[in-house]
Amino acid sequence: MTAPQPPFEIPPIITYAVPGFVLLILIEMIYIRVTKKGRYEARDSLTSLLMGFGNQVFELALGGLVIFAFAWAYQFRLFEIGWTWWALVLCFFGEDLSYYWFHRLAHERRWFWASHVVHHSSQHYNLTTALRQTWTGVFALSFAFKLPLVLIGFPPDMVFMFSAISLVYQFWIHTETIGRLGPFEWVLNTPSHHRVHHAVNAKYLDANYAGVLIIWDRMFGTFVPEDDREKPRYGIISQLGTFNPMRVAFHEWLGIFRDLRGAKNLREVWGYTFGPPGWSPDGSRKTSASIKAAWAARQQAAAVPAE
Amino acid sequence: MAAYLQQWIDQAPVLAGSIVAVLFMAGVAALLGFRHTTRIDSAELARLAAAEGARIEDALIAPDSKSALARLADGKLMIVRVMGADISGRILPASAARFRLRSGRLWVAFADTGFPPLHLRAEQTPPWLAQLSAGEAT
Repeated sequence: MTAPQPPFEIPPIITYAVPGFVLLILIEMIYIRVTKKGRYEARDSLTSLLMGFGNQVFELALGGLVIFAFAWAYQFRLFEIGWTWWALVLCFFGEDLSYYWFHRLAHERRWFWASHVVHHSSQHYNLTTALRQTWTGVFALSFAFKLPLVLIGFPPDMVFMFSAISLVYQFWIHTETIGRLGPFEWVLNTPSHHRVHHAVNAKYLDANYAGVLIIWDRMFGTFVPEDDREKPRYGIISQLGTFNPMRVAFHEWLGIFRDLRGAKNLREVWGYTFGPPGWSPDGSRKTSASIKAAWAARQQAAAVPAE
Repeated sequence: MAAYLQQWIDQAPVLAGSIVAVLFMAGVAALLGFRHTTRIDSAELARLAAAEGARIEDALIAPDSKSALARLADGKLMIVRVMGADISGRILPASAARFRLRSGRLWVAFADTGFPPLHLRAEQTPPWLAQLSAGEAT
């Protein structure tokens, strides 16, 4: 049995959004040039935009596998869910929750990080950073996080539609030009929340994984508000030393491969592949947890008055 | 297979449009003057080392001030390079890098693919660097 057809033709949401992306990037560039509120660097932006282009190419080459996986999983659905208003509401929340967990594991497990690191590899935070997308998402099986929705019975096209809406939503929050947005900050993922997510300051690490709704971070204890006294520094712990898109796309995968070649036992194979990014058998490399622990210890030491 | 090829043919104008848009936006960024190049000097190196809880013993800064190699007090090395307006660096044991010094040109390579090999002109070669390039890791 085929999936129920939507009562309307789903437009190519991302393709339609692209002219808007281009226009907003140009507006942001001019605004930053005039106000100096934010930063751009032409080579960094070119790399980000080429990563976005490469993502399009890889999606075109391998996207069929995702469609096939969704269609296959849909055979085993638990419920028959049509294109009703309540199904749309539930699917929106379900997709956003699955995005939260995908995104959280994309930071906490090296296999998924190897793909997602691309998006964080710029030391800049502007609208072009939003387009700095992975080329290896399908290879990393990132789409598997959405399969439970299809297994529940949401039509695959409905899940794809909300994934595209989420991706488009997340474009505009990659900017330093917008401050805080009042009560929207309670519910929505905003530029302020997402600046924290992209920051490498110890107090901001591993926080704010939200796609559209920040409520998941508040519920699961990963929410950290932006602190006006601590300006975010962007990028990754070991900042890349290259603008070369090929190196940006594959450096962490090659790192895994290199580490696996030197692995001495199954524990090391597991740790290097699915441990936290930076995991090492002797703990000599930095992980988010070790950086945050050192920072917390320094904070505590500073808070204790000298005797 | 035919459907797969047809998909590429159908999407070719979109991909072509995308690459034009990419080049246009990067061109506008360059025209607006977003082409910063920071410079590395001794003070900046010392600041970077201090931020990592380290201290510089000796350093070799490239004549164009875009890259540098420093020997730290604990025997490790700090390698930095300019990335536009930013600086990217690594601190690592000497044994984790490979060195080649020929005719005053130094080449340093690392296992880390995210930090490509460093090439810099070494007008004066400090003894520790000569030792490293001779394979005598300290």
